[in-house]
Amino acid sequence: MPEILVALIPALPFLAALLIGGGAVTGWLDGERCEKTTGRIALGAAAISFFLALALLYLRSTNQIPEQMELGTWLTSGAYRIALNFRADAPGLALSLVGSYFSLLVARFSVNYMHREPGYHRFFALLSLFGGAMNLLALGGNATLTFMGWEIAGLCSYLLIAYAYDRDTASRNATRVFVTNRLGDAGFVLGIVLSFVWLGGIDWPVILDHAAHLTPVQATVVAGCFLLAAAAKSAQGPFAPWIARALEGPTPSSAFSYGAVMVHAGVFLLLRLEPLFEQSPPAMALLAALGLFTALYGFLCGLVQTDVKSALMFSTLGQVGLMFLACGLGWWTLATWHMAAHAVLRGYQFLSAPSLMHQTLGRRTRPVAPALAGQRALYAAALQRFWLEPFLDWLLVRPVQNLSRDLEAFDERAVNRLVGLPSPAVRALSSLAQWEEQRLGALQRAQHVGSAPGLFGRSTQTAAALLHVFEERWILHGVSHGWIGPGRRLGHLLNRLEQRLAQPRYAFTLVIILLLAAT
Amino acid sequence: MTPPHPHHPEPAADPRARLRRAIEHLDHVLPGQAPILNFVHHNTLHGFQHLPFETALEEAEKVTGIHAFWPEETFRRHFAAGRIAADELEAALDARAELDPDESLAMAGDTPITRREVLRISLLHGLEALTPAQLIWRIEEEGALRHVHPGVTQEPRTGRTSSPLPELWAACLDLFGLGEFRLHPEELLDLSQTQAETLSLRSRDGAATGVNQAMREHALARVEKDAADIGQGLSLGEWLRRLTGRDTLATVRPLLIRLGAAHLDEGLAAWNPPERDRGLWASFRALAARDANWLLAELPGAHETLAALPEDPLDAILAALERLGIPDLRREGYLARIALEIPGWSGQFNWRHHQPRYAANREAPADLADWLALRLTVDGLWLSELCRKTWALDARLDTLAAYFRANPCEYLARAAYHAGELPEYLATFARRLLADTHLQRASLESWRGLADLIWTWQHSTETGRGAHDGAWRIFVLAQHLGLSAADVQALGSTQGGRLLEVLDELSPTQRGMIWLSAYENHYRDAVFAALRENRGRGRWATRAARPEAQVIFCMDDREEAIRRHLEEHNPRIETLGAAGFFGVAMNWRGLDDAEVTPLCPVVVAPAHEVREIPRPGAEQTRLIHDRRRSLSGALNRLFHQEIRRNLFTSHLLIDALAPLVAPLLGLRTFLPLALERFARRIGERFTPAVPTQLALTAADDGKPATPEAPRLGLTDHEQADRVAGFLRNTGLTDGFAPLVVLAGHGSISRNNPHLAAYDCGACSGRHGGPNARAFAAMANRPEIRELLAQRGISIPPDTWFLGSEHNTCDEEILWYDLADLPASHRPAHAKLVVELDHARRWSAHERCRRLASAPRRPGLKQALRHIVGRAADFSQARPELGHATNAFAVVGRRSVTQGAFFDRRVFLISYDPTQDPDGKIVEGILLNVGPVGAGINLEYYFSTVNNERFGCGSKTPHNVTGLFGVMEGASSDLRTGLPRQMAEIHEAMRLQLVVEQTDEVLGAIYRRQPAIQELVGNAWLHLSAIHPETGELSVFAPGTGFVPWHGKPHTLREVEKSPDWYAGHSEPLPPVLIRQPDLLLTRDTSSPPLEKGGRGDFSGDPTRQGLKIPPNPPLRKGGTGDVLYA
Repeated sequence: MPEILVALIPALPFLAALLIGGGAVTGWLDGERCEKTTGRIALGAAAISFFLALALLYLRSTNQIPEQMELGTWLTSGAYRIALNFRADAPGLALSLVGSYFSLLVARFSVNYMHREPGYHRFFALLSLFGGAMNLLALGGNATLTFMGWEIAGLCSYLLIAYAYDRDTASRNATRVFVTNRLGDAGFVLGIVLSFVWLGGIDWPVILDHAAHLTPVQATVVAGCFLLAAAAKSAQGPFAPWIARALEGPTPSSAFSYGAVMVHAGVFLLLRLEPLFEQSPPAMALLAALGLFTALYGFLCGLVQTDVKSALMFSTLGQVGLMFLACGLGWWTLATWHMAAHAVLRGYQFLSAPSLMHQTLGRRTRPVAPALAGQRALYAAALQRFWLEPFLDWLLVRPVQNLSRDLEAFDERAVNRLVGLPSPAVRALSSLAQWEEQRLGALQRAQHVGSAPGLFGRSTQTAAALLHVFEERWILHGVSHGWIGPGRRLGHLLNRLEQRLAQPRYAFTLVIILLLAAT
Repeated sequence: MTPPHPHHPEPAADPRARLRRAIEHLDHVLPGQAPILNFVHHNTLHGFQHLPFETALEEAEKVTGIHAFWPEETFRRHFAAGRIAADELEAALDARAELDPDESLAMAGDTPITRREVLRISLLHGLEALTPAQLIWRIEEEGALRHVHPGVTQEPRTGRTSSPLPELWAACLDLFGLGEFRLHPEELLDLSQTQAETLSLRSRDGAATGVNQAMREHALARVEKDAADIGQGLSLGEWLRRLTGRDTLATVRPLLIRLGAAHLDEGLAAWNPPERDRGLWASFRALAARDANWLLAELPGAHETLAALPEDPLDAILAALERLGIPDLRREGYLARIALEIPGWSGQFNWRHHQPRYAANREAPADLADWLALRLTVDGLWLSELCRKTWALDARLDTLAAYFRANPCEYLARAAYHAGELPEYLATFARRLLADTHLQRASLESWRGLADLIWTWQHSTETGRGAHDGAWRIFVLAQHLGLSAADVQALGSTQGGRLLEVLDELSPTQRGMIWLSAYENHYRDAVFAALRENRGRGRWATRAARPEAQVIFCMDDREEAIRRHLEEHNPRIETLGAAGFFGVAMNWRGLDDAEVTPLCPVVVAPAHEVREIPRPGAEQTRLIHDRRRSLSGALNRLFHQEIRRNLFTSHLLIDALAPLVAPLLGLRTFLPLALERFARRIGERFTPAVPTQLALTAADDGKPATPEAPRLGLTDHEQADRVAGFLRNTGLTDGFAPLVVLAGHGSISRNNPHLAAYDCGACSGRHGGPNARAFAAMANRPEIRELLAQRGISIPPDTWFLGSEHNTCDEEILWYDLADLPASHRPAHAKLVVELDHARRWSAHERCRRLASAPRRPGLKQALRHIVGRAADFSQARPELGHATNAFAVVGRRSVTQGAFFDRRVFLISYDPTQDPDGKIVEGILLNVGPVGAGINLEYYFSTVNNERFGCGSKTPHNVTGLFGVMEGASSDLRTGLPRQMAEIHEAMRLQLVVEQTDEVLGAIYRRQPAIQELVGNAWLHLSAIHPETGELSVFAPGTGFVPWHGKPHTLREVEKSPDWYAGHSEPLPPVLIRQPDLLLTRDTSSPPLEKGGRGDFSGDPTRQGLKIPPNPPLRKGGTGDVLYA
């Protein structure tokens, strides 16, 4: 019974998302006249889900239900089994409660705020989906379920940032955010795999209980993987820039995802994995360093922000950085409370952001101390957000892009030809100019000498054609230009190859290849 | 750019002086919006106001690329809904003398096809040319050859039968020699001999000798044309974007905005840029060397450029233009072009630049030149990186043009590819070639090959008057005209071509104008008919009987409803309207204000300061009030700023406050009204209200008060001047009621960056309550009464003036200085309060009908609860609808409009022509009301017709920036104009200003006043006169003068009360008469002489018997079917 209750907390919003999404696709929910229905579905699901979360909190705190609950088996394959189970520990309850509370509030807020927006139904479907995902993430009893919630939430955030997908900036930023987050997911997946291999299971209790048996190196590696995931989701350290790009969506979705709930998912993951991290001092140190760096980064950048949403966002970064720092220092309970408290408060601030200038009328933000105000270099750095994004672009993105382009060209020119993939039809197309030249007899092109069936016939034909080309190109044109051109071109080609190989990305690739070959 | 202003800068020798003048000149094309806290409605195209409306919109479209009319589909929707009648459209067509509508264009059998017919069809049904792909869609998916074109009503012309559509289509194709037309261009993969011949012949324009040659010439011409367009319609960056697909502006914009916003910030950031007090350019110079962006982006030449930044922004602009190779003559245009690429931010710099007295300029002086210098410098760096990478060339106009002249094929192919106009098979080819450019492998020959292919493709589908263009349009036109295939064949190519020419004859602006005039005239005629019918019915033409009370509201269109309901409820009350600052221009300093706020129209600089001070004996309360207020202020700052600003202390605060905030947030979301009331009660308890009065009166020191040396308070004579002036303006010089209430107005809502846009326009986007209060205080002083009596206005001693403020959002009415109200007047006041309460409930009721989320057919209580709840709800993006649907203004006695329902669409300005024979008073009113009304109306007009470009789009992604504006997301342009939520139900038409005065007087004023000539003569607003004695209406036609208006005979229904007319309807409603009660106070004694036939005689007309009409009368109401409500 309690398992079903827990399962309903994420399941109801998912169901609402399915209903609204399905309704919008089939045309059952369409346009302004159906806004009420959509709003009611989303609001109803969120409300029940919130009250169930409250009930869960009560039952858990009075110890009427166990921490880990199992509903059934999701899938099995030999020794490999993933259960459909749930976990109601302190961080999970905190996140679930905050998440479903905000689902409810934001849904209510959006009924008025999003009225008559072209994507009304889409917005509510995403909102519900996102609410369900956050609850699944928080309450999932094994790493895979949590990861599912994690991924769906990421997808929703992508779709919400790109809510106004007709605006260039919005869709570009959404894509960037999405891609950045996928790096963290890689860490999560690797963490799951390693847990399975080294700890013998992916249920949270297994991971947490067996963590003590890991060697320090193993613990550090597993913790590192999850840390990567957490840092990406909570925009810590090098991942910080994505969150400033996530403000393109409507105000309520910014409040929900980045102010209140999703940005805390990384912290939640750390909190849940407390025993694992405790096994690895290096991971703890890294955690603290990352947190401290982000806190300072968020604080300094926050001081120079001139728009409300960015200012709130950087402030959020700073606070989430402090949560990471607290975890790194082993103050887990403090971090849990801070997470829940911050979510509520920041959510409020985001929702009321449009009226900030009326609420602070006449009073400006307290200026920084004169000693800091005079630091021009630091100001430049803060204003440009410590160049984190251009730096990462320069370090990673652009080299990878160039490499991929070169590979594509290589595919196109060498691989496709070797494999014999058909070339685009365009080669068969004739242009007016060609036709005209042909008509005037000016087109110089290898003509088919004749046609003959069979292998013998065809090879003869090919040979004849080749001879024709040879004759025309190399003998008739002779020394005049025919010989020199190709020779020079070959030289250029070799030169370029050499230049290219001298570039860092190729040098780097070569080194990697050599290393791989050596091992 | 076509210079939109006559004061064209003369060429001067000094390039810096010329540059400066060019920058000043940008004021005419940039948005002129003030910081959003001081939002004041103004003509969005203020820089073009010296031109006639139509020309101005055309010029603006040339400069900004924004079409300033509703899309034709919108007009067609209105046409279908009966909001534009067929004869009105035709009249608007006929009104354009230059068109010669009766000219016969061709013959169909024996009947001529006139231009009017063709133009009417083109307006009503579009008939635009299609793209090839659209043609395929129409024919294959929509079955255009099987079904008659939608909207065809025309019977076959006499004596002929209609032909089957395929036959007609074939005839149309034949008309253009397209016998072997192929729908799909891909079928052209391999050309057959005949196809190639046809195409080759068709693509050659005679002069060129070969296809390749023709293509090259075409490409070269394009290079020349585009290169010449730089500095006119194109910037270098935009040009390169079209050729490389890389948008440098998208990269540069966030950087510019970061710097610009940091400079302009008015208090959001805690840390401000260095050297800010010396301007943006100085600040940039201080930061540029410390910025690593240039390094990381690997910009060529960045180091040298940034090391040598000149000190003066003008020099920097000149140097940057020089580097980009922009020729001397085009520099001005180039500046305008780049400024208009980020119009909002440029406009903000420009506004601050032109308001040196603006407070924020003290800390951060803003100069448009700084912004442009920054833009050009940073732009240049990225452009040169792009050009170096792509072509190994400098980013110079001349260098690039020379390169493309040498490589026209590449130019043609790049332009076609990046415009996205190529079909897939060509796009693939182009993409590969572009990838090769990167590897420097693409040769001249491959570009040539691609260009040839593109050329072939283009000419297979776009052969001048091709199928999708010529044949298709004639095909549709023929159906509408009822032509048969034989008729079409008989047209021949000459007449067919002629028809096509006529279809294209009207420019988009002309088409927009025709539609707009028809639309405006439809509504004007309905209103004029109501004014004519209402003649002699309205009360208070004179005040022979003393009114029970007089309430003077703002002229605001939103006050029309509450006035109407008040008068319906108690016919003995007279209401008046006037600009909401009540003639008292002042710097206001409320009890809690740290600084003064000017409360007057934005063009006036007040010379007087009025302060709110505690009443004697309230000193103790004041102390508590101040102490508690500073405490709550500190808490407020803690919550809104410190929690966001700090790191560790925020941590503590957040942890401590969250348990409190969590339930609050829930309440705010689910029970906003209850929380609001609770919070207010707590607030009143905690911070006791201080009884206050005004420090109003100053001793006369003999010196005149000026804006530079303002006086604290007004002298007796100054007060008397203001009171007398105002009373004369409104015509309230006799018949004073015992209670005269002045009701200023404002709007309070929760979560609304555009709050000021809902406030009183006559008070610079603030609340007008203090002005009402000040006026009442002055008018109650015996000294002033005496001075007034000397000037011929005798106010009875038993008349008392009271100030109040009407909140247009939640309909609350606030009273001032009730403590001073004599005991004798208290019963009258108590009665009036009840009556006003009744009126505001009905006003709320009437507002509900246009709000989609409001209950349909609500009860009175329910309606008010909804309206009040809306104002308290922080999730509400439409707390109220503002001036939406404003359409006309009446300057005249209340008797002109009283007695009819005007749907909150009319500005009402009280004025008595009988007291103003020479028109001196009305001249002053027109000079005030004209610009204010036109400003509101035109801002709504433009924000409605193109909300994305003239308005600021939807509120939902808005992000408040620097406390002076909104962006979408975190790095967009600053959005100006009105949000969609304010304008969506607006009906975009120019203001119709009706003045109760004779043609002669108004004509004389028009001739005297250049400001009125500009507005009225250029048709930014329409002026009409209603004769004070005869009631004849006449319309001012620019260039002609007043022309009598004879509308269609039009008998209006009369309803008992206005709810009988509007209840259950959410669409805009035409005027209707409201039954006048029998106890008319003024009818016998004061009605002006009635026309023959006795319009005042109600006995003969059964519809005016005051019979109770069912709540939802089965009448035809205009505009049904077009539900436009929020």
